[in-house]
Amino acid sequence: MSPTFVIIGASLAGGTAAATLRRDGFDGDVILVGEEPHPPYERPPLSKQYLRDEAPFEKALLRPAGFYEDNRIDARFGVAATRVDTAGRTVDLTVGGSIHYDKLLIATGVRNRRLAIPGLELPNIFNLRSVDDADLIRNHIAPGQRVAVIGMGFIGCEVAASLRQKGMEVVCIDPSPTPLFRVLGEEVGQVISAVHHEHGVETLFNDVVTSFEGQGRVERVVTKSGRRIDCDLAVVGVGVEPVVDFAIGSGLEISNGILVDEYCETNVAGIYAAGDVANHYHPVFGTRMRVEHWQNAMQQGAAAARTMLAKRQSYDPVHWFWSDQYDVNLQYAGFHQSSDRVVVRGSLEARDFVAFYLNQGRIDAVVALNRGKDVRRVMPLIKARVAVDPGRLRDEGADLRGILDDSLSGARP
Amino acid sequence: MITTRSVTIARATDIQPGELAAFDVEGVRIAVANANGRYFAIDDTCTHEQCSLAAEGTLEGTVVTCGCHGAQFDVTTGAVLAPPAPAPVKAYPLRVDQGDVVIEV
Repeated sequence: MSPTFVIIGASLAGGTAAATLRRDGFDGDVILVGEEPHPPYERPPLSKQYLRDEAPFEKALLRPAGFYEDNRIDARFGVAATRVDTAGRTVDLTVGGSIHYDKLLIATGVRNRRLAIPGLELPNIFNLRSVDDADLIRNHIAPGQRVAVIGMGFIGCEVAASLRQKGMEVVCIDPSPTPLFRVLGEEVGQVISAVHHEHGVETLFNDVVTSFEGQGRVERVVTKSGRRIDCDLAVVGVGVEPVVDFAIGSGLEISNGILVDEYCETNVAGIYAAGDVANHYHPVFGTRMRVEHWQNAMQQGAAAARTMLAKRQSYDPVHWFWSDQYDVNLQYAGFHQSSDRVVVRGSLEARDFVAFYLNQGRIDAVVALNRGKDVRRVMPLIKARVAVDPGRLRDEGADLRGILDDSLSGARP
Repeated sequence: MITTRSVTIARATDIQPGELAAFDVEGVRIAVANANGRYFAIDDTCTHEQCSLAAEGTLEGTVVTCGCHGAQFDVTTGAVLAPPAPAPVKAYPLRVDQGDVVIEV
């Protein structure tokens, strides 16, 4: 009897895994289960082109809608898993009944965190994860109306930019001193702050929303510092949490997501995880990380599929993502949570720079504005884990490609 | 019948090894890649968000990575090697004639 591979999560990771199984010749049954009613799609446009009504949803689809049937993928959209029985090798579904698996991939992603703020249930308060969420926000876009954006992470920043571009008044509130503070730090965060100010966004930093008020819909947000900010709608983007409810008590190791090794394997034989939900061991950095970005979802979904096909390879890319806000293209590569030194090449003021996050002389991560080429050239340096001369990183005249060769050969300028 | 014409667009020495350079050819931006002495011509405009592959991209071997969002193309054929590009870029036959880069358009 041919084996059955089940994928929970019709996400970018899950959909890519299903497609990879078929592309690599898997002939057994593939069942793809997803909570959303849509085929797998890419989320980056939801806060940008799709939100601004510049691109149709079809453009975001991972594969054309007919792909799944054409490739004998039993796609069940609008269905979620409620429980995994790792001994009996079954998954219970919200629609009732359970399905058997020989191998199981978990690609359930993340859900938006909901803060316990009084008034959060008022109409016209939105968050953004799915295309349905984006549609709700789109229905309320009206030039001149005022939106409060709660949280200036990547989603908050991109939503603020897109709604500003659509002619709305935008006020952003964040508990940190700058946008993107947790990921990029104060120096780069100040640059992003200036970009938003220049485009007419009001910001309120070092403050938190304590309640939403209004009659029949949200009319204002109230902050800890006592500010009362009138608004016609609010968008809340305050972080995410992995979707693992169905796996609790199953024997799967869970800690900030599903724990997997560098092959996407969990602690239970025959069960794998990929994408935003996977807290994966990274052999280059020697630590676990959970990555919530487009490229990882796609590449790790494919990597998990290869492991399921007994063609496993260590999954060890330098993680990379971008964010477009107004005319600014931000790119980040690597992984860092803190740094003992930040070195800047170029000009923060001119918004034309690369910032290197160093620890003990090695580059752990890099962020750049409008300099994708440089980011690409730094990625091999990050992966090599070699100590580099900060002076050369700073020197615009020094070719970034030469630094790696010199570092590996032990040469010093 | 499809006819093509030969157009000289650059000197081969104008394009450094491992680099791309873009040229206007009758209103179309065409990027020429120098893959360590082998030259290839493709449309310069990424099919994802219309970034210039020559201005923003990086060339490793015969693979160009768009500098805006990481899409990858094979400069020998124009084929997409990595998303998010939804479609290939056009590739043009190219020859180097007495130091001139000549493409068929």
